Amino acid sequence: MPLSSAMTMRQGHPPISEEEYNIFFEFFYRRTGILFNDKKGYFVEKRLHDRMEKTGSTSFRRYFDLVRFQASGEELQCLVNIMTVNETYFFREDYQFNALVQGMLPEIARSRKIGDTLRIWSMPCSTGEEPYSVAIQIIENWSRADDFAIEIRGSDIDTRVLNEARQGIYGERSLHRLTPALRAKYFQSVGPDRFQLREELRESVDFSIANIVDPLHTTRYRAVDVIFCRNLLIYFDDVSRRLAVEALYDCLSPGGFICLGHSESMSRISSMFQPRKFGDTIVYQKPLGND
Amino acid sequence: MALRKPAALGDTQVMASTIDLATLSLELASLEASARRGAARTLGAVPEAVPLLCDRLAVESALSVRSAIVTSLIRLKSERVVEGLLPFLRSEDTGLRNAVIEALQEMPSEVEPFVAELLADADSDVRIFAVNIVSLLPHPSTPLWLTQVVAEDEHVNVCAAAVEGLAEIGTEHAIPALEALPGRFPDVPFIAFAVSAVIRRIRGL
Amino acid sequence: MSAEQKQILVVEDGATMRMFYRDVLSRAGFVVEEAANGFEGLERALLGRFDMLIVDINMPKMDGYELLSRLRNEPALRAIPMVAISTEAGDQDAARAYDAGANLYLVKPADPVALVQTARLLTGAAA
Repeated sequence: MPLSSAMTMRQGHPPISEEEYNIFFEFFYRRTGILFNDKKGYFVEKRLHDRMEKTGSTSFRRYFDLVRFQASGEELQCLVNIMTVNETYFFREDYQFNALVQGMLPEIARSRKIGDTLRIWSMPCSTGEEPYSVAIQIIENWSRADDFAIEIRGSDIDTRVLNEARQGIYGERSLHRLTPALRAKYFQSVGPDRFQLREELRESVDFSIANIVDPLHTTRYRAVDVIFCRNLLIYFDDVSRRLAVEALYDCLSPGGFICLGHSESMSRISSMFQPRKFGDTIVYQKPLGND
Repeated sequence: MALRKPAALGDTQVMASTIDLATLSLELASLEASARRGAARTLGAVPEAVPLLCDRLAVESALSVRSAIVTSLIRLKSERVVEGLLPFLRSEDTGLRNAVIEALQEMPSEVEPFVAELLADADSDVRIFAVNIVSLLPHPSTPLWLTQVVAEDEHVNVCAAAVEGLAEIGTEHAIPALEALPGRFPDVPFIAFAVSAVIRRIRGL
Repeated sequence: MSAEQKQILVVEDGATMRMFYRDVLSRAGFVVEEAANGFEGLERALLGRFDMLIVDINMPKMDGYELLSRLRNEPALRAIPMVAISTEAGDQDAARAYDAGANLYLVKPADPVALVQTARLLTGAAA
């Protein structure tokens, strides 16, 4: 908890006590699944004070009551939006891509025959950085990649980002985590600060529209082995979150995995999955049995 | 081999199929869990399906199907759903009971007419569950209900649960009842500890 | 943290109850971590190294019985001593907790002296 900075009083703002912080975090985590770590102390405090000011709350207590009892949930959603930074770039949260090739895929591969299909789904995929990172990670770092037909899909609810994803043209910001060798191998310059992913790789991923809480959409995705669903569920209300996770359950093969974002946990949503530890990261597995 | 482009799904959307209650009720009893989940999910849009879903919930053993049924009942929330769910608070199945508590927390105004009766139930365990439900309801009367429990309930664990609820939403009005509580349960160190923590929080110390 | 200090994971949905356990056990020299439901407890147990778990029975998302049996099915965790705590005082409730894998069953509200004694006994910590 960011107690040291939480305790400091900023000029003109009513202070937020340690106890109030604890209660707020408990509530916020219960409702959104978002966990804060110490580093965000100043960041969290500043944003809370901003919202208190905008809502005309004279004390943190009054502001918390507004968030907690507001029937529309509008203020809670506003908090979620400002508390989360949603940017996308190649190899974001790459420890999960390591867990993919070191833990999840080898485990799935053990029960498959050479030549079988393995399916990976990036949802939401935004402008394509995530599914393409998965593709690069597999080609570069999974020794058994050639034994299987690996299908990668990317989906999003927003058709504009899907068109961008298909084009595969990115700026420096998206590429900052890539080594020069990987850039040279997979990208070509197409203008100032414009780099296009090579055609073979663009051609290896299929992009499609999907609304995760609409069963008519999700029934099109079946027998998926690994789903990346990072930093999406935090934007949903409780019911949509339940619907989404239940839909993802049906999209997975028995023994398949879901990866959530680093500040997210399945623990406030559903116990249908089994948490599994690969390296220092937890991912969620659909049970193997006949379910 | 390695990467292979999947068959294109594109951006086209699929059309909805029609809902047939008789077929869905058969599927809800299918031997395949995935068929039961599918039926439970589809029934979440059918208000007449509430009794069907509650009956299945009583016997359903698969966690994933139970979860789908509860989600559909939350979507269908109504006083009828609350009436259908309340008997499960007496179930011996802890998982089912807790799933039902979570569902009821999602329907504050539908639960409201039942709160007084639940908080007066003869079974202290049911009163604890009632307090757990009330504590998380985004309902304006919640602090008042919990304060009454703290002032009146005879059972230490019911009071402890209510103090726990007041930790998040207690107001000045709760303080007299809270202050009297350790005197009623002098042998229970947790009560004194919890009461002083909650009063500190209410006073913003 | 000295080599002597044993680590305990408290899995309990009541925030004030967790504070109480933390207070009592840390005064007695234990290092305490918390989880707010059974599923979160399972995640924390997988990521940490604990000498003992305290598990509440009635919790949202995943109850204590389910947590105990899942823990006993995890090769890396099955040897950890586990104490179940519940408001239910009946013999059949204790029997269920033992069946699920608890080493000991305490009835709520747990007495702090008994809690510390239990923790010392099950973790082998010096008094």
